[in-house]
Amino acid sequence: MGHKIQLTINGNSAEYEVEPRMLLVHFLRDHVSLTGTHIGCETGICGACTVLLNGEAIKSCMIFAVQADGAEIITIEGLAKDEKLHAVQEGFWEHHGLQCGYCTPGMIISGVQLLKRNSDPSDEEIRHGLVGNLCRCTGYQHIVEAVRYAAKKTNEAATKEG
Amino acid sequence: MKKFSGTEPKAQHKGASDGATAVQERETTKLVGQSIPRVDAIDKVLGKTQYPGDLSRPDMVFMKVLLARRPHARIKKIDSSATLATPGVMAVFTASDVPCNEYGLIEPDQPVLCGDVVRYIGDKVALVIAQNEHAAIIGRERLVVDYEDLPAITDPRRALDSSALILHAAKKTNLLAQRRIRKGNIESGFTKADVIVESEYVTPHQEHAYLQPEAGLAYLDEQGRVVIETAAQWSHDDRHQIAHALGLPQDQVRVIYTYGGGAFGGKEDVSIQIVLALAAWKLRKPVKLIWDRDESIIGHHKRHPYIIKAKWGATRDGKLTAIQMDLLSDAGAYASSSREVLNNATAMCTGPYECENVWVDSRAVYTNNPTCGAFRGFGAPQVEFAAEMQMNKLAEALDMDSVELRKKNLWRNGSIQATGAPVPEPVGVIKVLEAAARAAAWPVKKSSSKRLETKKRGFGVACGFKNVGYGFGFDEKCTVTLELHGRSEIEKVVVRAGASDAGQGAHTILTQFVADALDVPLEKIQLVTGDTSEADPVGSCSASRLAFMLGQAVRGAAELAKEKWRTQSERPVKATYRFKPRPTTPLDPETGRGDPAISYCYAAQIAEVEVDTATGQVTVLKLISAHDVGKAVNPQQLIGQIEGGAAQGLGWATVEHFVMKDGFVMTPNFTLYLIPTVLDVPEIMNTVVLEDPDPQGPQGARGVGEMGLIPAAPALVAAVHDATGVWFDQLPLTPERVLKGLQSVP
Repeated sequence: MGHKIQLTINGNSAEYEVEPRMLLVHFLRDHVSLTGTHIGCETGICGACTVLLNGEAIKSCMIFAVQADGAEIITIEGLAKDEKLHAVQEGFWEHHGLQCGYCTPGMIISGVQLLKRNSDPSDEEIRHGLVGNLCRCTGYQHIVEAVRYAAKKTNEAATKEG
Repeated sequence: MKKFSGTEPKAQHKGASDGATAVQERETTKLVGQSIPRVDAIDKVLGKTQYPGDLSRPDMVFMKVLLARRPHARIKKIDSSATLATPGVMAVFTASDVPCNEYGLIEPDQPVLCGDVVRYIGDKVALVIAQNEHAAIIGRERLVVDYEDLPAITDPRRALDSSALILHAAKKTNLLAQRRIRKGNIESGFTKADVIVESEYVTPHQEHAYLQPEAGLAYLDEQGRVVIETAAQWSHDDRHQIAHALGLPQDQVRVIYTYGGGAFGGKEDVSIQIVLALAAWKLRKPVKLIWDRDESIIGHHKRHPYIIKAKWGATRDGKLTAIQMDLLSDAGAYASSSREVLNNATAMCTGPYECENVWVDSRAVYTNNPTCGAFRGFGAPQVEFAAEMQMNKLAEALDMDSVELRKKNLWRNGSIQATGAPVPEPVGVIKVLEAAARAAAWPVKKSSSKRLETKKRGFGVACGFKNVGYGFGFDEKCTVTLELHGRSEIEKVVVRAGASDAGQGAHTILTQFVADALDVPLEKIQLVTGDTSEADPVGSCSASRLAFMLGQAVRGAAELAKEKWRTQSERPVKATYRFKPRPTTPLDPETGRGDPAISYCYAAQIAEVEVDTATGQVTVLKLISAHDVGKAVNPQQLIGQIEGGAAQGLGWATVEHFVMKDGFVMTPNFTLYLIPTVLDVPEIMNTVVLEDPDPQGPQGARGVGEMGLIPAAPALVAAVHDATGVWFDQLPLTPERVLKGLQSVP
């Protein structure tokens, strides 16, 4: 039997009926067609399925959809606003922070969270913030640069506004 | 912040820190040489890119594959009655359902579905198709296969014993391939030597660990053709193998590639393509399949383990006099590209060093271990690990600087390969070694500021080289069609080139070559790459070949197209060009003589490591890579290729421990098989790019895809030796192995 849950996904609130054993990642991909959240390992290691749940980056293969009841979820599809890239997305584009792109959505979400916690991170802090996300293509250097770029860009924008 | 419509070219890139040799920013309107953004980057950062697992069609059904999960057994009976009685299950297919039950990249020695014998744990036995994935999984669990286990050959050293079972009865031997090189006189070479270094090296399986596991969707199109949407490395060859197994003409099969989530050689062989096509063809319905990580690791081929016996001699002043190598490659259960990997390994096992006297014996043997095939480097990483270790050990034995020793022996213009052919010129390997040494301020004094007494630092150097393209007489098959639309002005260019982009950036490079060759802006270029019914065959995305071959094919096609545009009134103009690089030859079976490579690319790396002698942990602090790329077509992408390759090479040498036991994989997921995280790669990767144009390559470009990986392991092991005084001849350097090695020294 299905369970009724209420979720706000990328700003849209709705009620859904889900099987109790359905993982959040399968719910997002198969039921809401948000296929930007990827599955790489099914064991909570690779981070390709990382989304923001109430503002916290979580691996969506590690929780059931029912556990997210009432939550606000942001996936990669919900980051860009009004046709404008989020600073972290822009960083990955500008700094070639991706090759195959499969880890990219999860990596970007983790980047968003780490900048939220620490708006001016050192390289070491960036590296520690991304350690839960595997990339097999890049050797990570361009990814660190992408997040560093996003931090700088965000801080510059904040200074201008402030 | 910027709008994400449009991808205007821009010339920003982070270059090497060695300004004297780095790629310079260019004052040019030409795009080749500029770090234009990837054509696929916007969709990838937005999460819009569709990977094979993201595809869907209305009324699609789901498939699961039953893998043998035993190394060697006879199938006595398959009972599918409980499966077929499972709600939602629609069909079970076994060997008798496959029209022509064989496939293989080079030689079709592998059953699509095993009927009588399974030869390794990844062999496919049956397909279960159901209304949903869950029912397919339940149905698969209910399949009852009655096996009779057979003795398994799991040690390649035992594969040729007279008592060993023959794994492929028709072949009458487990020897899949053997090669030889006989150059000069090996006996007199050792007689002339003042020092001789002898070692046995063991290199392990390596898992590709691309983040996107195999997946695809197959269906029939409106013309009744079977269509397979997936992402791998060679769409036209997939089509060929699918058509062969299904007993269909090639034009009844369409392979469509989406963007792929990594490949590194691991998607060069067919994995799920034929079984998907078979199910869709039989059921006349769309069928989808996604492999779990565990299925991916068990189900696709690996990098070959090699056991390498090396005996090298040199004079007191550091001149190599003799190189003797014995290579034993564990091919696993099926041929895949083991012969071709052995070709490379044989031709390249001397390293890029000239020696008058060379004796090589190499063999690839069938075992009941996982099938091995292509993986970035294609045989070069294994043998060059041995070659570079030998050079570093010789330097120690001669009390000579290891860079200086190399420079006395490295290929230069006019050098002759072990196979007797001249090295294709220009030969830039001394330049890359010098560039790496300069960037590292070699010879490096070990840092005296140790944080702890147990942490010891060291530096190590290695060179590497790799052929560009298949070589050994293999057909490169690179054809491109350009269509110019418009009337007086070119309004649109359609590029038909079946090039797979597994992440390396082939499509971006393709647009750069087209834009320059036709002098059109990027936005007028439309790529048709994915669909075998629409795109020309360009060969595989492998062998560091695509930029080289595509670039030349585009230039040829553009010349023809421009000529037609000028002289003919018919529109659109269509021009097809097949690029044929200079011919190569296979190695002579007795002497190894031959001209194996179109061209080579070169690299040198210097690693700085810290070894914790209390825990055995090896940390790579810094990696300097110098590469001669001929021409950096897209410097930013190129540096990404080098750094990504280096991370895989360092992973192979440290954290990537692929554990086999009695034919079973003990590390079938990412909890057990570790790949480098951001904290496992060096914080400093300094990449120096040299551009010594290759006259055969497009605008001088060589290949670069595989090079970053090759010198990383031997450079790292040399650095560990510098730190600890211990040589490690077996990869990977797990903490356990390092501790044991350190304890073995009094």
